[in-house]
Amino acid sequence: MSYLTYHAKYVPAGPRKLFYLNWPVILLLTAVAGFGFLMLYSVAGGSAQPWMEPQMKRFALGMAAMFVVAMVPIWFWRNMAALAYLVSLVLLIATEFVGETGMGAQRWIDLGIVRLQPSELMKIGLVMFLAAYYDWLPVNKASHPFWVMVPLFFIGMPTLLTLAQPDLGTAILLVAGGGTVMFLAGVHWLYFATVIAAGIGTVMAVIESRGTPWQLLKDYQYRRIDTFLDPANDPLGAGYHITQAKIALGSGGWTGRGFMQGTQSRLNFLPEKHTDFIFTTLAEEFGFVGAFALLMLYAGIIFFCVASALTNRDRFSALLTHGVAMTLFLYFAVNMGMVMGLAPVVGVPLPLVSWGGSSMLVLLLAFGLVQSAHVHKPR
Amino acid sequence: MIRRPLRPLARVLRARDEGGNPDAIAAENLRLRHEEMRDRARARAEGRLLVLGFFFFVAFLTIGVRMGALAATEAEEPRAVANGNPIINQRSDIVDRNGRVLATNLDTHALYAQPQQMIDPAHAAVELARIFPELDAEELLEDFTGNRRFLWIRRQISPEQMQQVHDIGDPGLLFGPREMRLYPNGPIASHILGGASYGREGVDSAEVIGVAGVERYFDAWLRDPANEGQALELSIDLTVQAAMEEVLAGGMTLMEAKGATAIIMDVHTGEIVAMASLPDFDPNDRPRPLTEGDQSDSPIFNRAVQGVYELGSVFKIFAVAQAMELGLVNAQTLIDTRGPMTWGRFRIRDFHDYGPQLTVTDVIVESSNIGTSRIALMIGAPRQREFLGSLGFLEPTQVEMVEAPTGQPLLPQQWSEISLMTISYGHGLSASPLHLAQAYASLLNGGHRVRATLVRQDGPQEGERVVSEEVSAAARSMLRQVVTRGTASFAEVPGYEVGGKTGTADKPRPTGGYYTDRTISTFAGVFPAHDPQYVVILSLDEPQQFVAGENRRTAGWTAVPVAAELIRRTAPLMGLRPEIATLDPTGVTQTASH
Repeated sequence: MSYLTYHAKYVPAGPRKLFYLNWPVILLLTAVAGFGFLMLYSVAGGSAQPWMEPQMKRFALGMAAMFVVAMVPIWFWRNMAALAYLVSLVLLIATEFVGETGMGAQRWIDLGIVRLQPSELMKIGLVMFLAAYYDWLPVNKASHPFWVMVPLFFIGMPTLLTLAQPDLGTAILLVAGGGTVMFLAGVHWLYFATVIAAGIGTVMAVIESRGTPWQLLKDYQYRRIDTFLDPANDPLGAGYHITQAKIALGSGGWTGRGFMQGTQSRLNFLPEKHTDFIFTTLAEEFGFVGAFALLMLYAGIIFFCVASALTNRDRFSALLTHGVAMTLFLYFAVNMGMVMGLAPVVGVPLPLVSWGGSSMLVLLLAFGLVQSAHVHKPR
Repeated sequence: MIRRPLRPLARVLRARDEGGNPDAIAAENLRLRHEEMRDRARARAEGRLLVLGFFFFVAFLTIGVRMGALAATEAEEPRAVANGNPIINQRSDIVDRNGRVLATNLDTHALYAQPQQMIDPAHAAVELARIFPELDAEELLEDFTGNRRFLWIRRQISPEQMQQVHDIGDPGLLFGPREMRLYPNGPIASHILGGASYGREGVDSAEVIGVAGVERYFDAWLRDPANEGQALELSIDLTVQAAMEEVLAGGMTLMEAKGATAIIMDVHTGEIVAMASLPDFDPNDRPRPLTEGDQSDSPIFNRAVQGVYELGSVFKIFAVAQAMELGLVNAQTLIDTRGPMTWGRFRIRDFHDYGPQLTVTDVIVESSNIGTSRIALMIGAPRQREFLGSLGFLEPTQVEMVEAPTGQPLLPQQWSEISLMTISYGHGLSASPLHLAQAYASLLNGGHRVRATLVRQDGPQEGERVVSEEVSAAARSMLRQVVTRGTASFAEVPGYEVGGKTGTADKPRPTGGYYTDRTISTFAGVFPAHDPQYVVILSLDEPQQFVAGENRRTAGWTAVPVAAELIRRTAPLMGLRPEIATLDPTGVTQTASH
């Protein structure tokens, strides 16, 4: 049901919009980023360079962008959704194409001020587009097979493109994020049950077929699965990250070794100490208390987003807010799970904490949309 | 206007009957339907949200519980993991006989790039080229933007360089720990130590392996984790070695030689106290072998161990000692030295005409080729071969260096009588200076065979006897006289009673025959002569000394003065006190004497 069908009693305008922002979310985002600054300062050996300072600048830039996006009415963004998706897709195809013509497997696009990975942009573009799609689609048609195939196609295209990069982590996030919007939009649960059953069936078939003449994967692929299931099998190869990360978490204990006292990451046992595996530094230096605090901050963001979505009668706003919350959730859940050995290592950053401008900027833009939905919700 | 009937039609009809507005009824119906639909959608969405919320909750719970479980586990210390790594190992140090470090390890870092993760390859390439001037920015950029997923940039970088690279701030530039072999003394003892390099290399560690010298010979021992914390103790004395290299370099320059080598060996234990070969190199940056030309011109060529030369008259003492041992002659036996001596189509000459005859002692003192040849004829080829074999001349030295087997002596194909005679004065048999050192030590230490070693020994080697005590003493006496009144007079170092023999050998042409203007000049000596402690061998390759209007290439003018300086410098370092002969105490009242 569309926004215009509601009779909005009051929508704030002008500077008054600032009072209607979802301030708890903004504070929580800043707190999470603050954790990130501390950790980047620590892994650089107690130096603002080369990571902390650029990260702070990017955060400031992202925050400014978030406020700008938040001030623009949400119906404008709904009208932009298809365009956002299209632009992301074109960029994604462009990187593939440019990559093939000799610039290497470059995932980056230079926008002048900041460089973006189109695949990151696509995470938001997809959620926006699907939210707008289900806003447009009459509710009773949501489960019609044809109207289910359409979003599947729009999810599938960018997923295949990112898989080709290859970037498994982003592909998983795209599928899960898109699937969440579809689920919340009311697509019949049998579709999901079918997909999940098919997934489980495939996994079972893959595992069962091992060692038989019709085995589905190559031997080395099975070994990777083994490594995920038991990293100790291959502590120097594929299991190295996980083993070292677990050591870091274990050595952090309940209260940690203290700020700047971590050895695992400081002594270079972890090559990706400032990017995907920054959580290990946090866990080692601040222990369970610090790691759990970060988890709670994330949970707080999710909570306030879901609360905002639940009180929002506009279908696009609600779906978008849920989608963004889910994207954030997938980011940190996959990253933390990967570091702690609950999920395979797929290369997903810890949102707002890991070094890197792309995911941070895109996430903050997405939260700008969430804020806009919150400000402009029908009251 | 055709109005579509609306459900429930009955209501509309009734309203029409009652005079109401059917349009309002239709709008009301539509609103009710919309509300119903919205409520249904909301109920479904809330159900969905509940499912999602449950999923969130379970995920949070899983992560939280896992976090707690990991936090509660016993911390594995990183060290334990490092030990399980087959590549990381702590290579043992190498120290000299007094425990001073010759080779140790330094923790450095290697720099590598993962171009796929680079943010600004162009900036990184330029900065790297600035930090490491030998790198080329354009080539780097090509590598960074190509299809490569990984590339080494530098195998070893200093902490300062590491900080600078760190400050570039590109996440695609990464460091891996590297244990590096460090030779703190630079080129000192370079040939002995050899050098080390990397074997299997991984991002997180690399294997250090010895490539030459003792590093290679003892590679397994040095890498054995069971020996961690222990050092390999060599027989080398670092101060003596340093002094030797200084003296040798000076002598080589002064005598315009193209190469030089020297050895100081303990006569009883066979320990090599110092051994040098020039030109040398820095084992921290070991040069590659030459790809063309003569390998013996390369700085990594060890003249003392690998180089085999015809060493000339220094061999004469072997023939004389053997003849005395066999009872064929004694020190005073007169030997016919009329020359030139003809044997078949060969002629043997002396440097000077020494008259009709010389005593055996004077054959050595004057270095008569003819006299030595006549003594050799008394011995005969089979016995000479056997004797030289007992001194170790027939096989490579067994010194603990990987290069030792390449120092294979060149022996005559047929040990004929002419070979017998030429070998007696040091031609026709090529051996390394180290062979000569261990043979002199065996002959002069009282007659016990010693084998050259680079590992510190606890006591004298009690090898099989090669000559009797008396013959050994007589040989030393003769060598002493070579210094006091013979060809090696420049070797006199007051207080150390040096005995020794010179040898000047014409270098063989690669095409056959000998050069007339290129020599190997050797001094082989022992000191102190009455109580032998050390053998010194010093050899110059193609020296010349322009004295009194002529080029002098004989050892007496070239190798001997350098050897004397060497002894003067090193004997005190080895704890030998100079024994100055007591002056005639005229005019001095001695209250006590012994």
